[in-house]
Amino acid sequence: MNTMRHPAPFGIAVDVGGTFTDLVLRDAAGAAHLFKALTTPGDLSNGIFDGLAIMAADAGTNLANLLANTASFACGTTAATNAILEGKTARTALICTKGFRDVLLIREGGRPNGYGIGESYPEPFVPRELTFAVTERVDAEGSVEIPLNEDDVRAVVERIRASGAKAVAVALMWSVVNPAHELRIGALLAELLPDVSVSLSHRVAPVIGEYRRTSATALDASLKPVLRLQIRGLEERLAASGFAGQPTFVCSNGGRTSSIEITEKPVYLCLSGPSTAPAAANRLAKAAGVSHGNVITIDLGGTSLDASISRGGQVAMHREGSIGGHVFGVPSIDIATIGAGGGSIAWVDTGGMVQVGPRSAGSSPGPACYGRGGTQPTLTDANVVRGLLDPDRFADGQFRLSTDLARKAIASGVAEPLGITVEEAANLMALVAEQNMVAAIEDLAMRRGYDAREFLLVSGGAAGGLHAGPLARELGMRQLLVPRASSVLCAYGTATGDIKFDFARSFPTSDCGFDAAGVKSVLAELRREGEAFLDRMAVPRDKRVLRFTGDGHYQGQMSRITVDLTPAEADAPDAARLAAQFHAAHERLYAVSAPGDVVEFVSWAVEAIGSVSAEPEIRPASGRRERNPVRFRATACGRNGGEARFGVFDAEELTEGDVLVGPVLVQDRLTTVMVPVGATASVTAEGGLIMTFEVAEIGPAFDPRAA
Amino acid sequence: MSAAAATPVPELDMFTMVVLRRRFESIIREMSNTLAKTGRSGVLNTALDFSCAVTDASFQSVSSGQGLPVHTGAVHLIPKAVADKFGDAVFAGDCFANNSSYHGNTHCADLTLCSPVFHDGEIVFWSVARAHFSDMGFPTPDTYAPLARDYYAEGLMLPCVRIQRGNRDVPEVVDICKANIRAPEQFYGDYLATLGAVRTGERRAREICEEFGIDVVKAFLVRFQDYAERMARAAIRTLPKATVSKEAFHDSVLADYPDGIPVRATVSIDPDAETIEIDLRDNVDNLPLGINMNEATILACCSTAVMNILGNDVPKCSGAFRRIEVLMREGSAIGIPRFPAATCASTTNLAHVLIEHIQSMFADVREGLGTAYATIGHPASAPVVSGVDSRFGGRPFVNQILLGYWGGPASHGHDGWLTYGSGTTQGMLWQSSIEVVESQQPVLVERIEVREDSHGPGTWVGGGGASCVLRARKDTLRFVCNSGARDFPPPGTAGGRPGAPNLAWRRTAEGQLIELPIFFDVEIAPGEALVSEGCGGGGYGEPARRDPEAVLSSVRKGLTSIEGARRDYGVAIASDGNSFEIDASETSRLRAEAAVTAE
Repeated sequence: MNTMRHPAPFGIAVDVGGTFTDLVLRDAAGAAHLFKALTTPGDLSNGIFDGLAIMAADAGTNLANLLANTASFACGTTAATNAILEGKTARTALICTKGFRDVLLIREGGRPNGYGIGESYPEPFVPRELTFAVTERVDAEGSVEIPLNEDDVRAVVERIRASGAKAVAVALMWSVVNPAHELRIGALLAELLPDVSVSLSHRVAPVIGEYRRTSATALDASLKPVLRLQIRGLEERLAASGFAGQPTFVCSNGGRTSSIEITEKPVYLCLSGPSTAPAAANRLAKAAGVSHGNVITIDLGGTSLDASISRGGQVAMHREGSIGGHVFGVPSIDIATIGAGGGSIAWVDTGGMVQVGPRSAGSSPGPACYGRGGTQPTLTDANVVRGLLDPDRFADGQFRLSTDLARKAIASGVAEPLGITVEEAANLMALVAEQNMVAAIEDLAMRRGYDAREFLLVSGGAAGGLHAGPLARELGMRQLLVPRASSVLCAYGTATGDIKFDFARSFPTSDCGFDAAGVKSVLAELRREGEAFLDRMAVPRDKRVLRFTGDGHYQGQMSRITVDLTPAEADAPDAARLAAQFHAAHERLYAVSAPGDVVEFVSWAVEAIGSVSAEPEIRPASGRRERNPVRFRATACGRNGGEARFGVFDAEELTEGDVLVGPVLVQDRLTTVMVPVGATASVTAEGGLIMTFEVAEIGPAFDPRAA
Repeated sequence: MSAAAATPVPELDMFTMVVLRRRFESIIREMSNTLAKTGRSGVLNTALDFSCAVTDASFQSVSSGQGLPVHTGAVHLIPKAVADKFGDAVFAGDCFANNSSYHGNTHCADLTLCSPVFHDGEIVFWSVARAHFSDMGFPTPDTYAPLARDYYAEGLMLPCVRIQRGNRDVPEVVDICKANIRAPEQFYGDYLATLGAVRTGERRAREICEEFGIDVVKAFLVRFQDYAERMARAAIRTLPKATVSKEAFHDSVLADYPDGIPVRATVSIDPDAETIEIDLRDNVDNLPLGINMNEATILACCSTAVMNILGNDVPKCSGAFRRIEVLMREGSAIGIPRFPAATCASTTNLAHVLIEHIQSMFADVREGLGTAYATIGHPASAPVVSGVDSRFGGRPFVNQILLGYWGGPASHGHDGWLTYGSGTTQGMLWQSSIEVVESQQPVLVERIEVREDSHGPGTWVGGGGASCVLRARKDTLRFVCNSGARDFPPPGTAGGRPGAPNLAWRRTAEGQLIELPIFFDVEIAPGEALVSEGCGGGGYGEPARRDPEAVLSSVRKGLTSIEGARRDYGVAIASDGNSFEIDASETSRLRAEAAVTAE
């Protein structure tokens, strides 16, 4: 047996992203080892096994031995997202109510850009020739307006059989209030088309609003046949390579679950990858001594910036997540994404302003400095020219960056058209990119009525360390945490995240004429489902949490508010208390409430959680010793691209309690962190940096160019 | 749109330009967010029918492309009206309310609030928010009133009056509003939401002045408008020199205009001077209808149309608008209204024709430019509906439903955008959800689907219209609607053909269809239904040049009939009722025949 460098057993977490695959190995001593490999396009398994090979080599062993010593394997994946974006989902038919074949085509309106005529209208997720109407209708109160015509259903089933569809979504009007017709169609499909995957809308996404419910159901059905194969493939390959356990998968709600839930409700795998970052950021913030729990998390990668927000430790969720313009409708982390990353391309518009993104050079050809044929100037090129990235140490030295190529691209693309120096152009590019990021982050906070200045910024992604400082300053935030694991924050979050899955039922009732017995039995059913899930995941009793909720709204409202029920209340649901909670939440969110109005409750849910992650040890950075740099680097981050001297440290040489005063660069294997002028950084127990900014009093002192 | 400061403008580096540009965009975003979150009516919190803006002291708008085109294109007229009317008697804490076309507003139902932003005792900005109110006290429960004969048949008018002094309501003005507007509590809630947006803009603009210093901010404003102007100049420079005149028609309900109401424009492009002139003086006199336009809507329509042609990168602010010269005549329906002409539907019918009319003329300037026409008027599926709801103890309601407001214009290389509506909103309004419509009012939607053969044929086809049926349940519903495009459906451009016309009927309990006029106010009793066949957008380019595969695909989807494929596109489809294939030789024959006929 090989001698391994780290103590077993291991926990492995993998996050397969668009450009890089991030991996984290946690050893028995609790140490986290971080890795990054270029993602090779292909199926789910290939990218993961490429990364595992790197990990095994680093651990001084082979793959079989590594996996034989691995107790848990968790995976965040873009498999569902990519299948949808690349049109590689199963051929899917949709059964709808007669008169409503175009629900997926119409969507919800609200074109984001009011101007511009050169745009083609997006295709519906299920084409009209695979959309089949059946005669039936339920009204808003759940009464049957037109009974289900079963002859229609049988005729439609034959047409679906002939169409070669491998999956069927059933989404009828008001099924969320009365699911009888959907259930009957589901039974007929099970009988007549037993080999076809079926998803029913009132089960997938019990929400009012036909578009969102239908879209979620269509995505779910279309993913089932495809993901079942991919996930089975991964499981078999892991088993064949020596892993004895059950892999877990990250869901859109940020928790992990087994392959059973994912193949039953694959729509939950949408945006799997980035969803663990906010919870990881919250844990790291708490561990670093930030107790208020108000955290904005960014993940800045090669092509995009993902931003999410938590208040009081609660990660903001929504049901409006979409992929390729298709809403997937299940609860997910509210992640704002914009096309701004290391690969974002800069140009000069006809009015003489620099623009950056959303076009990206991606990983192939990549930024000009990669030397792989890219000629257009990117944000990474700008950071090379600014002297902030060491060309010899990029991505753990996996390849060398070319300063010459970066300069050349910026000279011809930006500096020469504007008649400025290459250094000034590089700084302008960085500023424009940062302003775009600020706009996205500010919008995320504003939409929820939060003030970004009351939040801690946590930086993730390999490109985050150089830009988070200027972002925090422009947003008026006082503190910034760049964890040691920031370069692989999602994979780190996956390694440390909770087991979690949602189970929901529609059961409409209202606070006048509340059906307490009915709600109680629905919640009891959900409790059984949740417990069965936690049994399957082998979560110990004392680690289990069941969080019951009901979704309510005022009569006529489309927006919904989720109210909590304690486990005791779930046994004896009380209308008055639920309504009071609803009115208070409405007041808090919208500054108004209508206590006289009837509150309708449409659906009920349980979040079954296994809090398997250890509570972080809280160790605020003590800030004991100021470290004076002995090495310096001349950067081009001064005024107008002039020289500015930065102190330089290696992450390895810093220990908990060290204090660094900007301007300083901290170089790590997978990332570089900038401590700007005016910021003071303390090294945390985790090895990260927590920075505080001198609060710029309002006055003429603002200098947007200060690094 | 006067030029700014006469004093020399200090140099400003590009770094500060970039930061301040985003800061101002952020102000508009925060204002809009405030309004959407606190608005009470569905028009504000669901459809998002409102816009926010900031102008400088010389009324130049700073925002760039946020908000509805028809709202923001001429927002500078609002602070100008305050300055014209009140002169120096404008103080910090004031807020002015304006919904009068004779004072620079768009139409009666758009209530616009505006407050000055002071810095060191000087007005440096104006903060403006404009929202479509779900009721403004019209004689009938409607917010457009296309049949209004004059100003006095519109809703309550607030001709640029002070509604707040020292940040407190002027109670007399608010009381008059509440006394004249249906659902006064909803009105007051929406007023507070709009006011909140204005005050947010004011506070944020002041903070920017304090942080950056007023000289830097003023320098930025000059440079930013110059930048936008440079972008517009560069785009105009690429166009050929040309002058084009053209006439289109809006349906008429007037005996004086038996052949339709003409909409005329002459567009002159001067790439050397880098200007575009739009001459609208040759239009008919004011009409005894609510559809007369006004300065605000005409300037907005002209700038929107030109901006659509110039491309997405040009900031939509005063600097860019400087390159557009609009010539208008007082007393014209498409010009400056002469009192007491009614203008309460000035953002819809003629405005809908005008925007795409101007865009279509660019197709005559260079092949591939411009667009066809979009939906004109609201289809019957997007009416104002009112009544009482017996499900909730006879609760009264009044709401505009936004279903099937579709039919976008085709352009070179692109079929029309489905959920576009008209050029004034360009697809930015949110569509109503059927389930929400049914829970908010006692109506049952029997159907809403794309109407077969409604797309205006072309090489690229117009967006489809909606086939929609709204049935009354146990309560009688009152529907009021200002449609159009029945006699004159949205025309095609560059050889493209018009979309299908707008049609509407009352379906009796016995199933008999009784046709409704374009402007209607009808009661639908329990068991009866409103049946709407919405118009499609116009096509672009010769239909005989449309890719036969695209026609086949449309037939397979059930959007184009086999007869329509043959008649409109010269594509023969063979079918056994289940599968559809192109009959290639018959298609060649049909298309050759069409080419001969065309010669």
